[in-house]
Amino acid sequence: MSILSLQSIGFSYAKGQKILHELSYEFGKGKVYAIIGRSGAGKTTLLSLLSGLVSPTEGSILFDGKDVRKIDRYKYRSHYVGVIFQQFNLLPHLTAVENVELSIRASGKKISEKRKLALELLEKVGLDDELAKRRILKLSGGEQQRVAIARALSYDPDIILADEPTGNLDLTTQDEIMGIFTRLAHEENKCVIIVSHSPEVARSVDDIYELAPLKSKKEIFRTGEVNAHRS
Amino acid sequence: MMILINAYKSIARSKGRNILLGTIVLTIALSSGIALAIRSAADTAKELGLATQTITGSISVDRQKLMESAQSGSGSSGANDMRSAMQQYSGLSLSELQDYAVSDYVKDLYWTASSSLSAGGELEAYSTEDVSESGSGQNGAPGFAGGGRGGGFGMTMGDFSVTGYSSESAMTRFMSGQSQITDGAMFDAAASDYNCLISNELAVFNGLSVGSKIILTNPNHEEETYTFTVVGIYTNASSDTESGQLRFGTANDPANLICVSFLTLNTLAEQSAAAAITETDENGRETTSAISLQTAGTYVFGSKNDYDSFGEELRSKGLSEYYSLSSSDVNSYESSIVPLENLSGFATTLLIIILAVGAVILIVLNIFNIRERKYEVGVLTAIGIKKAKVAAQFVMELLVVTLIATVIGTGIGAIASVPISNNLLETQVKAQESAQTTQEQNFGRPGGGGFGGMAPENAEGSGQAVEYVDSINASVNINILLQLIGVGILLTILSSMAGVVFVLRYDPLRILANRA
Repeated sequence: MSILSLQSIGFSYAKGQKILHELSYEFGKGKVYAIIGRSGAGKTTLLSLLSGLVSPTEGSILFDGKDVRKIDRYKYRSHYVGVIFQQFNLLPHLTAVENVELSIRASGKKISEKRKLALELLEKVGLDDELAKRRILKLSGGEQQRVAIARALSYDPDIILADEPTGNLDLTTQDEIMGIFTRLAHEENKCVIIVSHSPEVARSVDDIYELAPLKSKKEIFRTGEVNAHRS
Repeated sequence: MMILINAYKSIARSKGRNILLGTIVLTIALSSGIALAIRSAADTAKELGLATQTITGSISVDRQKLMESAQSGSGSSGANDMRSAMQQYSGLSLSELQDYAVSDYVKDLYWTASSSLSAGGELEAYSTEDVSESGSGQNGAPGFAGGGRGGGFGMTMGDFSVTGYSSESAMTRFMSGQSQITDGAMFDAAASDYNCLISNELAVFNGLSVGSKIILTNPNHEEETYTFTVVGIYTNASSDTESGQLRFGTANDPANLICVSFLTLNTLAEQSAAAAITETDENGRETTSAISLQTAGTYVFGSKNDYDSFGEELRSKGLSEYYSLSSSDVNSYESSIVPLENLSGFATTLLIIILAVGAVILIVLNIFNIRERKYEVGVLTAIGIKKAKVAAQFVMELLVVTLIATVIGTGIGAIASVPISNNLLETQVKAQESAQTTQEQNFGRPGGGGFGGMAPENAEGSGQAVEYVDSINASVNINILLQLIGVGILLTILSSMAGVVFVLRYDPLRILANRA
């Protein structure tokens, strides 16, 4: 059963520029999905829609059968969806562990030892105590990516969304990061959705949805039918 | 809790920004604290000054009003109208003064009566002018103050001023130290025994001592004589006798003031009235040789409020509008606090400017601050923290910084306010004294003294220079601290509002997208 379902969604900016049209995808738990496509195809827009930062202008997104538009989107973002942004979006004045703790507090979940949990999560993604206590700007890109993943996992969400998680990383680190995502899906039954244009990412996921840019308002390049490929 | 923890971390990690903000708030709090302390101290000094003072007041004819009334009348014969009005509204009689004294607001009433008598027997009035002539045995003083003048008795003036005091309270010149008994003792105020006090100058001039007898005569009727026994000799303060004022007649010289009990002077007046000769001149005006007394009463009040209430009560009791209640105590105190009031006004203006400028600076700074932290707003809202909570966190940060800065600023203000306010007050006093000196040089009288009233006491000496309040205890008390904290919270809320509006307007996706 799918945890997240796109029901013929479309998205246009206020000026009328149409980005997405008639997309109908299904995402289930225990799998890693990749949404791939060329630049301008609307990958990041789709991720924003999935994370509840914006609402579709057409159709609806169902989370666990409920229309995301009708549920508290702050709660949706802080409880059910963990987002790893392309630019990480960590707070630079805080340390790695404090960034993770902040996210735990934002969820409002009653966890007595927040610091301990945050350190465990960071360790899980490969950051030791010493790195955990460093401020964000004192960490490398790969380390920041790991902090972002730990933060996304901090409140134990059902869905993990990652925007170009391997974009700026070397191949070894890319593999390590992808390994984390695969473990999360296969061992912890999370639904992991990765937005990427990287073929390496596409090879290591369970399902792929391919997006292509719309050529014009009238011409629909892609109807949004499932175009899954096993790697 | 999350808001507090985030706010604390943000303050601790962004020291530079918060120190800048705190410094601005501290400066505002410091300046406001000093301004409030000065204002409060000036107000307290004003209240305490009157609270600790016994207030005396007297009812006198309001000449200004009489003149206005006369001028607004027929217009053609203003002088005559004025004259008749003056005759109609002369000083109140003793019985009238006593009637008005029956009041809850009046603590005491004392009065003095004064008259003018001429020298009799061997006695000569003291005079520094033309001593050789005085020594030749001429009776009467130089100028027009001599013995009887032709054409009626009413206008004549004797050589001496004789003042009768109703009680010890009435002897203000002895109470204040203006005059001091150097030989003998005070007469009994409750006796009509013809005992008197004379000045040291008069005693030396005539070779008198305690126990000597002096003879005074009715200036209108020289055969009418009264014998007094000198029971005490007093000296006047030097400023009193050497004030250099031009005196019309020896009676105005303080050295020629003879002090007796009111009962003595009243008995004398009654005797004089019994022996009076009455004449009618060609205009039909009746004049009498009887010695007349001019009575002046002084009411004593427990507080300024009682004084004010008595003024209202007098009107309700039917006292004519041409009489007014006045108090030299209140007048002199009001003059003495002019520098304080200037300082208080200055402090208020300063406070308003500081708060207005401070509010603008804080608002602008806060807007810049929020704009700079736009990314933080985006991240916090993106991970699911509600905008209201983000705004609350920012307000909390500002509030904490503001409160700490306010407390430090108030502490420094508390220390600085005393020397600063006294320094400012000193400047004010100097400016006021300079103005007074100029006035003295130009008009030959002290600026604050005013013109002599109708009370005889005022005629005895010149007006005194105003003693300005030249020191205040400006300190920051709990009231000021609360006011400042209130001001701090108000400024914080005001400046936060602008920031909150910005936070609420931000779209997290747009912020993050723009940054990307």
